Amino acid sequence: MAGSNNSKMWRKTVVITGILIFLGFGVVTGNLIRWQLVRGEELKTKAIDQSLTSTALTPMRGTIYDATGTKVLAQSASVWTVALEPNYIDTEKGDDVKIAKGLSEILGMDYETVLKKAQQNSYFTYVKRKVETDVRDQILAMIDEQKISRGIILMEDYKRYYPYGTTASTVLGFTGTDNQGLAGIETQYDDVLSGTEGRLVSAKNAIGTDMPFQYDQYIEAADGYDLVLTIDETVQSIVEKHLEAGLEACGALEGGTAVVMDVNTGAIRALSTKGDYDPNDPFTISEEVEAAIPEKVEEQLKEAQEKEQQELNKLQLDIDTAETEEEREAAKQALADYDRLTSEDLAELRETLTDDAYAAAQNKQWRNKAVSDTYYPGSVFKMVTGSMALESGVATEESVYTCTGEWNFDDPSIEPINCWYHPGHGTETLVDGICNSCNPYMIWLGQKLGRERFFSFFDAFGFTKPTGIDLPGEADSLYYDVDGLNVVELATESFGQNFSITPIQMITAICAVANGGYLVQPHIVDRMLDSDGNIVQTADTSYKRQVISEDVSARMTKILQRNATSESGKNGYVAGYRIAGKTGTSEKMNEYNLHPERGMQYIVSYGGYAPADDPQYALLVFYDEPQIGNPSGGSQAGPIFAAIMEEILPYLGVDPQYTESEYENLADKAPNVIGRTIGEAKQQLEEAGFDWTIVDYSGESADDQLVVTQVPSPGAAIPKQGTVALYTAEPKEEDYVEVPNFIGYGLETCQYLANVADVQVVVTGDGSSGYAQSQDTEAGTRVKRGSVIKISFVSSGGVESVTGDNE
Amino acid sequence: MAHTGRSTARGLERVPRRMPVRVPADEAASAAARKVKRRERIRYKFFTLGLGLDMPMLFLILVLLAVGLVMLFSASYAYAYYYFGNSYHFVMRQGMFAIAGVVLMLLISTVDYHQLHKFNLLIFGISVVLLVMVLAFKGTAIAPVKGGANRWIDIGVEFQPSEIAKFALILMFAHLISLYGSKMNTFRYGFLPFAGILAIIAGLVILEKHVSATLIICLIAFLLMFIGGTKMRYFVVIGTIGGVALVCVLLFSDKFAYALERIQGWLDPFNPPEGVDTWQTVQSLYAIGSGQLLGVGIGQSRQKYLYLPEPQNDFIFAIICEELGFIGALIVIILFALFIWRGVYISLHARDRFGTMLGLGITFQFGIQAIFNICVVTNTFPNTGISLPFFSYGGTALIMLLAEMGVLLSISRHSNIEKT
Repeated sequence: MAGSNNSKMWRKTVVITGILIFLGFGVVTGNLIRWQLVRGEELKTKAIDQSLTSTALTPMRGTIYDATGTKVLAQSASVWTVALEPNYIDTEKGDDVKIAKGLSEILGMDYETVLKKAQQNSYFTYVKRKVETDVRDQILAMIDEQKISRGIILMEDYKRYYPYGTTASTVLGFTGTDNQGLAGIETQYDDVLSGTEGRLVSAKNAIGTDMPFQYDQYIEAADGYDLVLTIDETVQSIVEKHLEAGLEACGALEGGTAVVMDVNTGAIRALSTKGDYDPNDPFTISEEVEAAIPEKVEEQLKEAQEKEQQELNKLQLDIDTAETEEEREAAKQALADYDRLTSEDLAELRETLTDDAYAAAQNKQWRNKAVSDTYYPGSVFKMVTGSMALESGVATEESVYTCTGEWNFDDPSIEPINCWYHPGHGTETLVDGICNSCNPYMIWLGQKLGRERFFSFFDAFGFTKPTGIDLPGEADSLYYDVDGLNVVELATESFGQNFSITPIQMITAICAVANGGYLVQPHIVDRMLDSDGNIVQTADTSYKRQVISEDVSARMTKILQRNATSESGKNGYVAGYRIAGKTGTSEKMNEYNLHPERGMQYIVSYGGYAPADDPQYALLVFYDEPQIGNPSGGSQAGPIFAAIMEEILPYLGVDPQYTESEYENLADKAPNVIGRTIGEAKQQLEEAGFDWTIVDYSGESADDQLVVTQVPSPGAAIPKQGTVALYTAEPKEEDYVEVPNFIGYGLETCQYLANVADVQVVVTGDGSSGYAQSQDTEAGTRVKRGSVIKISFVSSGGVESVTGDNE
Repeated sequence: MAHTGRSTARGLERVPRRMPVRVPADEAASAAARKVKRRERIRYKFFTLGLGLDMPMLFLILVLLAVGLVMLFSASYAYAYYYFGNSYHFVMRQGMFAIAGVVLMLLISTVDYHQLHKFNLLIFGISVVLLVMVLAFKGTAIAPVKGGANRWIDIGVEFQPSEIAKFALILMFAHLISLYGSKMNTFRYGFLPFAGILAIIAGLVILEKHVSATLIICLIAFLLMFIGGTKMRYFVVIGTIGGVALVCVLLFSDKFAYALERIQGWLDPFNPPEGVDTWQTVQSLYAIGSGQLLGVGIGQSRQKYLYLPEPQNDFIFAIICEELGFIGALIVIILFALFIWRGVYISLHARDRFGTMLGLGITFQFGIQAIFNICVVTNTFPNTGISLPFFSYGGTALIMLLAEMGVLLSISRHSNIEKT
């Protein structure tokens, strides 16, 4: 070993070793200081975070009850979401195939689809959401049976049920897949209903099973509050039944709406929009609407093609009329470059249009017209103008104005405004003006009020601001500000045209007219309850302001009552219930301006309240674009108003008080005489003021024969002093008669027809001058001799329509 | 031993401590005679097994092995439980291999390492054959592809031929350096044969796409040649050529963008570019960070619960950092530093140049491997597969390691260091 070599080697070795140890381990130590001492806390937090899984505990969504507090309008129930963890499925054991087979059978899904999900490379994938508990049990049994170790997850979820189906659907709204409210009360009170999510925080290893650490922390979910609505299911159902019938009768294209409101508290007792939807299945549109879509789409497609053809023709024309060669070339080029619609374009367009049509139909059926639509209130507003005049003292009931059939402005350059009754109402008082629904009279009142006073009342009645009802999507009203209220605007607004308000604003104003002048706060939720049933919050039934005095309110009620019993509004009349009401027929001027080819469309409405001596409930019925018959609030909305009022008022605890004449027309209840002898029956009927006739086959009309059956049957309606047919044996074929058709005839004709057919009639509505609009037993039905048929009459006179000079 | 007293009494005779004892000329003959005598086979018995052994080195090996086993148990038990249903799965196997390995180490330490001169070519040949087999039988039962890597061979026992190749290279280099002696400064002797051998081995290993092993092999080769006396300028030339070639390959291959992304992922593992998986690095850093100064306590690691992939293998050091903290990690690092120091010390005091080069090669191999591993775990280097000697799970690798330790101890028996 050479010395120099050796010492050199020593030096090199020592240097290299030094470098290795100090540089290598030095750098490493430096990095350890950086990671452990400098950034240790941060990395530790991240490490802990990733191992702590926080599982959301879904709270139960609150239940929605109707005003009775017992009927459930919306309720959540447990359902299950089926998901897979494909990466943890033991494919070697063949679990993927077993899972696909089992799940596809149980869930009724395609085998290939499920298998694809089971084999994909992911840690989580949904299979089906919201399956019922019995399906979950089937899946659990399948897992057990097939000995599937891992891969299927069942997560608890909730599904919303609406036991009454379409009832109050536009009020209730519905929820989405994540249980979030998507419309109506469900949206408005989403926070309250949904409650607070709970959390389960626990330490998990990377594959999600528990670690042997004690990190568990449990924060309980707080269930959502229950809501008790002011809506009464019974009232709501009655309203919907009649509203639907009226909708069919008048064929309103844009549906109809009706609101029942407690005039003193502002509580909404019923609110319905037709055609609505089933919140259990909110995305399904009605079959008719669905069936109409393809035709509509084809029409739009045709339009697009026609437009294309027109453009092509124009280009062709450019070529033909080109003056220079260059221009001709350019035009030819333009024609060649024209982007023609290919068959794919058309298919695509068809698809888009169809989707749009579906979306539009869905939006339409979800729309709560009572709060989201605005309309010209028309003549219903005249009660407001009348109240203004009485309150401000510019007129009294006896103030006289002569209607010549048109209103002429001082400035002759402005076109006059016509009264709907062109010959003119002649000299009339304020009472006559309202009962005749006279436009010039209202204009006269408006001009006397002046724009400042008119606007301040208009504002005070709540027409300038949304009512703030606890429903989503309340529309803003559209009106002329005080500065914009020039002579023409003031004139048209005086009779309810040329400004747009929501039905809910209108009925709130009607309530103010009814209840002594107080503008109440309309509301739909009465109280919130926690899960133990304790009241958390109750609705504020305060009123915003007093608009008119109690005296004016009472006087206006009197006028409206007279209107409802005798004049233009008499179709809203209900015997015994002292109805105060006003019809309204308004033009959809904006719609007309946009689509003149459709012709003028109307909104017909009837607003009123009862009983007149102590107003309790207001009702507004409203149809948008009726197509069948002459558009008239009196004949199209009025009878519906009456039918609803007649049925809901007894339920709501308003007792009927009949006038003498009403009492005479009133239907009575047939007493029960079955099982008695003819003699006894005769005596009983006589005492009760009924006539009788005996149907006897034995020929010997002995008074000691027993009554086997009677017509009308015990408790059924029978006219006052009507006849009860007493049968001594079961009625035979010849005792049946055919019900005649009464519809379209006057009262006398109806009574004659009834006599001929050997049936009896009871009359509702305006029997004195109207005509029969409907009968409860269809014509041609075979009924027992002496049966009672109920006929509804509507008034033929006093039907106003509107002609106005609305720019 | 005559010179033993002199080295301890360095103050009296002013002999530089690091200088090997120079034997006077007249004593050379008797020394040569002694050498011959010493070369006679010594028969060791159990109680004489420690005779001449470097006790500090033996102590360090056993301490590293013991700490390694404890940490392997702690790091692996969650993984073993989840995947094998038995928390002791890894530590039992590793423990058995450790016992067998220690016995083998002591046995080998009794063999005179000069015997290895004879096996030099055989071992080299075997390792080349094995490396070729890995490539030739790729994907078959003999050369299974594990974790996407083709670097294993399975002939009854499973191991990485590159481990044997490392030792073969060290042995061959030590043999040649001791053979050529002062001719090492020539191109013909000091460079060409070494470059050729390196080219064969490193070439075969790089074909396995085993970059880290190739790097380590090249580094060991460079260190041995440099210490052995090869002229520096050859390295500069070959280093430049190699560097330029590497850059060209990277720049003009489609892997360039990928390499850039990998580097980006390395520089900022928490926000890696799309397609670059830094999960293991991130989890490793989470583990290291969680340890902070004093650690979460042995057995208390959170990251070993399947967050850190295969915590018993290459990333065991991260679990050490998490459970034992900065202090514990530092102690392990110091143990490795002491190991390198002692290995170098033994080698420098070896009786001959063969022993020196062989000892240095072995020491550097495991020292570098430990440093590289810790660098990867701490994200100092980009992630590549290097195990931590004495700690990472792997039976045959442990046997190999301890066998090489036996060679190192054998060198120590014959060295002229102070024996305790």
